[in-house]
Amino acid sequence: MSFSFNETNNLKIELLSKRYPQKKALILPLLWLAQKQEGFISEEAMVKISELSHMPYMHIYSVASFYSMFRLVKNEKKVVEVCRTLSCELNGSQVIKKHLLENYSDKYEILEVECMGACGGAPMCTLEGKYIENVTPKMLDEVLNAN
Amino acid sequence: MKILVDNTPIECQEGELLIDVLINNGVEIPHFCYQQDLGMDGNCRMCMVEIKGQKRPQIACDTFVCENLEVSTKSEKINEVKRSILELELLNHPVDCPICDQAGECKLQDYYMDYGLYESHLCTPKTKKGKHIDLGSNVMLDQERCVLCMRCVRFTSNITKTGELGVIGRGDKAKIAVAPNHPLNNSYAMNVVELCPVGALTSKDFRFQQRVWFLDSAKSICHGCSRGCNIFIDYNETKYTDEKVYRFRARRNKEINLSFLCDFGRLSYKELNEKFTSSTWHVETFKEYLKIEKKVALASPSLSLQQLQAIKEFCEKNSIALYSLPYVDESFGDDWLKINDRSANFAGVKELLISTCQNDFENSLKDANLIINFDHNLLKSHMPENKQLLHFSTSKCDYGTVYAIANFAHENGTLINCDGIRQEYYATKYRCETPRLVELLEELK
Amino acid sequence: MQTKIVSKNFEIPHANSLEVALKNGRYTSLEKLFTYQPQEVIDIIKTSNLRGKGGGGAPAGAKWQLASDFEGKKYLVVNADESEPGTFKDRQIISKDPHLLIEGIICTCYAIGANSSYIYVRGEYEEFSDILQIAIDEAYAKNILGDEAKYPVEITIHRGAGAYICGEKSALLESLEGNRGHPRLKPKSPEPEFYFGEPTLVNNVETIASVPFIIENGAEAYTAYGTDCSSGTLLFAISGHVEKAGVYEAEFGVGMWDYIQKLGGGVKNGKKLKAVIPGGASTPILPAHLVMEAKLDYENLKSLGSALGTGGMIVLDEDVSMVKALKNLLRFYHHESCGQCTPCREGTSWVDKTLDKFINKTATLQDLEVLKSVSKSMNGQTICVFAPAASGVIDGFLKHFESEFLECIV
Repeated sequence: MSFSFNETNNLKIELLSKRYPQKKALILPLLWLAQKQEGFISEEAMVKISELSHMPYMHIYSVASFYSMFRLVKNEKKVVEVCRTLSCELNGSQVIKKHLLENYSDKYEILEVECMGACGGAPMCTLEGKYIENVTPKMLDEVLNAN
Repeated sequence: MKILVDNTPIECQEGELLIDVLINNGVEIPHFCYQQDLGMDGNCRMCMVEIKGQKRPQIACDTFVCENLEVSTKSEKINEVKRSILELELLNHPVDCPICDQAGECKLQDYYMDYGLYESHLCTPKTKKGKHIDLGSNVMLDQERCVLCMRCVRFTSNITKTGELGVIGRGDKAKIAVAPNHPLNNSYAMNVVELCPVGALTSKDFRFQQRVWFLDSAKSICHGCSRGCNIFIDYNETKYTDEKVYRFRARRNKEINLSFLCDFGRLSYKELNEKFTSSTWHVETFKEYLKIEKKVALASPSLSLQQLQAIKEFCEKNSIALYSLPYVDESFGDDWLKINDRSANFAGVKELLISTCQNDFENSLKDANLIINFDHNLLKSHMPENKQLLHFSTSKCDYGTVYAIANFAHENGTLINCDGIRQEYYATKYRCETPRLVELLEELK
Repeated sequence: MQTKIVSKNFEIPHANSLEVALKNGRYTSLEKLFTYQPQEVIDIIKTSNLRGKGGGGAPAGAKWQLASDFEGKKYLVVNADESEPGTFKDRQIISKDPHLLIEGIICTCYAIGANSSYIYVRGEYEEFSDILQIAIDEAYAKNILGDEAKYPVEITIHRGAGAYICGEKSALLESLEGNRGHPRLKPKSPEPEFYFGEPTLVNNVETIASVPFIIENGAEAYTAYGTDCSSGTLLFAISGHVEKAGVYEAEFGVGMWDYIQKLGGGVKNGKKLKAVIPGGASTPILPAHLVMEAKLDYENLKSLGSALGTGGMIVLDEDVSMVKALKNLLRFYHHESCGQCTPCREGTSWVDKTLDKFINKTATLQDLEVLKSVSKSMNGQTICVFAPAASGVIDGFLKHFESEFLECIV
């Protein structure tokens, strides 16, 4: 199975190529585009990115594995991330996590993450990357059941 | 200019790396990530020194020397720093030295004896990582033993530029790996084993064959091609066995091979262990052969200058036409160390004005009744029709009469490499079963 | 108590759109900017005593000068990686007044002679970087940016992907070059950063967003705020156990306790204050009695054994277990260490695992010794300041709250 970027992404890549002095700098943008396109970053996608960035495959794999937001394994479930860092923990992130794990782990992939920069809205979680701040179990029920 | 190291003045050049100055002057400076031919990376933090006027200890691999630099490498304070870093290096390292192949040549072991010797404080579980991972090209990886010095990664990224190795994950989960379905695949891959300062990367070829403290080393030159890479021959002799060579290691030479060898050359040590039968040991047999009229001789271009000189004199004295033909392999060379000319001393052949003309040799061959082959590979597996063939050989020959002679592990000699560099190599120290060619020819006079 | 310089337009609805932004004074500094020579702009910034607002507090003007002194191609990189726990100020600028940032970028590029700039936005801020991208597109459409602009500037948003360490400027540049975010070895003498070998200035979002005010109103207008050494204002943030968590801009030098009470609404649920982590997780904790005398400026907090950092305060009430709080932070450092150099990679993991024993009340006196000695090993022996920060955090907790740790020892 081979991977290719779709037409919209190819246009984006063409524009981006002009913005960086070297192809190598495209690696993070390309990993994002691949993840957006397929929901995760496949081996085939990394092979493609290796070609486009003129870097060895292992370099792409090594870079992708460094950043916690890149997903190298396919998961059909939607992702809910709960922040566990101090301000959120002080404001009850454990309650949120427990509520999620007890009620939604079948349907959603529940992940604990470090500070998301939403300490002013602690506790917080994200649904498919979208921030939900000052979250309560009741809010979660409303949002997640509606999804 | 001079700098002061532990109150002793050391001569050096402005702008040199402090760690190079220390290494080159025999000052002990523990280090994992720095390697003279890979350069600095600064990740291991082991080469800490105290520098007068600096508040914090500095790493010697990221310090350039300048006039009036005063360095302390062994004050109590700096030893405490090294001890603390070493403790962290060893923290998640398995205590499996008795079954680790690196034991005896492991930097962690050495430095622990020099700077460690502390009671373990570890009361938390060690981090688990992958073990006996086959990376390809004869290289095995134990991620738990790795100190993440990145030497191997830097080798495949910066030297071979093949980029098979990398780090995956981060923090204490970071580990060296190859990507799935992308194994180590370059003709210099086994250098990473030698570069690895600990037992993380081991060679499938050498591991578990011999404990390194039973090995002796001889300074030699690789005979795999005309590059003349400098090597150590690691060998031993046990009570009930003959001398055996276990491996070649790169011997650093800034002009030629730096700290590296190609895998082909590295594994060519095996030829030195080959056993074969000598047809005769008697000098008299040879003297009988010499009575035959019309003789031609072919000498291997991998013999030393001393051997070639003796052969030349011998042939002149006995009116034997002498030739040497190069070993050329168009598929062997690359843009780095490997050279298509696979003879170790073809430049030596030319210096001694021995004929290398293929046509002349073939014409002489037609007329000749006896061919004397001085270890040239061409005639070892090929028998010219209606001729008598006599070998002085370091390896098995399919036809003719064979005098076994000592191979280069048992010889001292001089070679001239492809760039005209003249280099000496030295024999291993054990008794050689077979006679040395020069001595044999002397006896035949 | 609030002084709104950077946050002036935050409350204005749709200030992120160019139309509203223009009506509210955005891009007016550019007129004045182009009457100055680039070096004059740098001199104004030097006189204004503007300090880097990403946590370090280094003088901005000096940094600009270093980049400016190089000939040829140069870059400006705006650090919007904001991932220091307790810090959430830059996202306010990006999402509420993105044109202020763009205006600041134009000023800065003009001053140092750069035409290309990147904004490195942390990956999690996708919603906010989308808002910023729209603003950039609008600015391009109106020739405020791009080749046709009076001073041509390119802005490219580069998204991070979840790595705290990429907030460290050299790790950020590595990431921007397409590498793992490993910090680089530090130069021995002052020099700019380098992006693909070209001289580069890296500044925090808020630093750049402070520039238009200074250009428009002059250096003195800025130094009129704050203290002698810490001039101007900062978008202080407050979170944790407070009634009104949020970002409120204030002059440097205001009282910490005053700020917590007046702007943060005081400790949540009427509880008593136990401690404050003053400027993002990496600054040593201050117990309540020191909070009472603390002033929000670089010098005062340093004199109290802590640091101003990013100005993101985390408030802890009387019920907080300091053992658990430290565990939370050490887990963070353990998770976020890049793993490049030994003391950090091994040290952050070891102290985190050791803290588990305190949490489980199975710790021994030796474990307390381990915390102290590993903390020492992590300080001053690494490539970047990540491990020293973790070390400072441990030392701060043990200095002020060691008794709570002793209670966990069997």
